[in-house]
Amino acid sequence: MRDIKIEVKDLSLYYGEKKALKEISMQIPANKVTALIGPSGCGKSTFLRCINRMNDLIPDVTITGQMLVEGVDIYNKDVDVVNIRKKIGMVFQKSNPFPKSIYENIAYGPKINGIKNKTELDEIVEVSLRQAAIWDEVKDRLGDSALGLSGGQQQRLCIARTLAVSPDIILMDEPASALDPISTSKIEELVHELKEQYTIIIVTHNMQQAARTSDHTAFFYMGELIEMGKTNAIFTKPEKKQTEDYITGRFG
Amino acid sequence: MTHFEMELEKLKNIIIKIGKLAEIQVSESVSALLSEAAAEGKEVKKTEHKIDKLDVKIDEICQSIFALQQPVASDLRFIMSAMQISNEIERIGDLSISIIKKTKSIKDKHDLIAKFNIAELARQVELVTTKTNECFITRDESTIGEIFVLNKTIKNRCDEAIHDIITEMKTNSKAVVSGTNLVIVLKHLERISEHCTNIAEYVHFMIHAKIIKHEKFDDKKLDS
Repeated sequence: MRDIKIEVKDLSLYYGEKKALKEISMQIPANKVTALIGPSGCGKSTFLRCINRMNDLIPDVTITGQMLVEGVDIYNKDVDVVNIRKKIGMVFQKSNPFPKSIYENIAYGPKINGIKNKTELDEIVEVSLRQAAIWDEVKDRLGDSALGLSGGQQQRLCIARTLAVSPDIILMDEPASALDPISTSKIEELVHELKEQYTIIIVTHNMQQAARTSDHTAFFYMGELIEMGKTNAIFTKPEKKQTEDYITGRFG
Repeated sequence: MTHFEMELEKLKNIIIKIGKLAEIQVSESVSALLSEAAAEGKEVKKTEHKIDKLDVKIDEICQSIFALQQPVASDLRFIMSAMQISNEIERIGDLSISIIKKTKSIKDKHDLIAKFNIAELARQVELVTTKTNECFITRDESTIGEIFVLNKTIKNRCDEAIHDIITEMKTNSKAVVSGTNLVIVLKHLERISEHCTNIAEYVHFMIHAKIIKHEKFDDKKLDS
C-alpha cells in the first residue's frame, strides 16, 4: 500500500487484566476508506477509539505498542491529545448534535480554535455543510435548532461539524446503523465523496455497507486482526477460513 | 442448516439433476448416431422440457438469493457459477436434440461413421459429459484437468474427421448431402465438449476464485 496514513505496530490494549486487543499491526492508507468488521466484542470499536486516544478517558486501560499517525506515535508523552482530536475527527453511532442552532453546531469547533471573523465562520459553515451534503436542506434555516432535524440530517450535521475543524482523518463508529435506507445511502455516498480529501476508518456491523463503501477491510475476531486486504478480495476470496465463515454468516 | 444453506443445497441438487438429464440427452444423441434404432422422439422431447424448466428454476433461485441474501465469497462464486452452468447445460441439451434430428438425414450412416472413425469420438463426448457432472459433484481438481485434455482430443479428432469428409466430398459428389450433415453433427459434438469445458472452468472458479475461461489450453493452471 502506498501513502500510508496510519501505521499500527504490535498494539495491545488491556481493560485491567483483560486483553481486548492483541498485538494489532496494520497499515491504513491515506485517502481511502478502511472498514473494520467483526462480531460484537471483537475489538473493532476499541481499536477505532485507539486511533484518536478516546480510550484515554476509560479508567484502567493500558495500551502497549505504537499507533503512528503520519509517522508520529500518538501515545508518545509529548503529543498533545487535543491536537490529535483536532486532526482526527469522530462520528458516532447515535447522532449527537449540540442543543444549539444548526449554524452554531458547525461554528463551535472553529470558534474554539480561535476563529472569530464572522465572514470566515460563515464560509466554514457553508463549506462544511456542503461537503456533508446537507447544505441545500438547511441553508434557509441555519438559525433553527439542530435537534429539529431528522435522524439522517442530524448525522450529516455531525459529519459537517467534524469537517469544520479540518481534520485529516475521520473515524466513524457505525454511523448509519440507526438510520433508514435512504439516509444510510446518503451517508454511504458521502463517505465515498469525502475520501478524496480525508482518510476514513469506519466500523460497521453491516457487511454490505463495508463492501459498498470501503477500499480496504480489516476483520477482527476476539481482539485479533485476522485478515486485512482490499475489500474486493475480502468479499470474493478471503484468505482465512475465519473471515470466510464470518462474511458468509457461518460463524461459530 | 440455516435457511440460506438449505437454499444453496437445493440449488446444488437441481444442478446435479439438470446435469444428469443433459447426460441422458447426450447418450441418446450418441446412440442415435451410432445405432440403427432411431431415438425415442417423445422421451427426448420430454427430457428437453424438463431441462428447460429446471434452467428457469435455477435462474429464479439465483435471482432470489442475490436479492435476499447478498451472497459473498464462496457462496457468491457458487451462485454465479450455477447460473452459467445451467445455461451451458441447457445448450448441451439443445445440441443433443439437433444431433438426433440431423442424424436422420445421413444416408449410409454406418459406412461413413466407420470410414471416418467417428464412433470413438462420439463415445469420448459421452465420457466428457459424464466427467463434467462428476467434477461439479466432487469438485475434484484432477477431473477438471481430464475434461480439458479430453476436450482438446475431441477437438483435434473433429478437425481431422471434418477435413477427411470434405476431401471425400470433393471427389465424390454423392457423399455431399450426407457428408454435410455429418460435418454439422461433428460440429455439434465438438460444441457439447466445449460447453462441458466451460462448466469445468466454472467449477474451477467456484473452488479457486480464479477465472480461466479465456486462457489457452497450455496456460490453464489448475493449481489455483
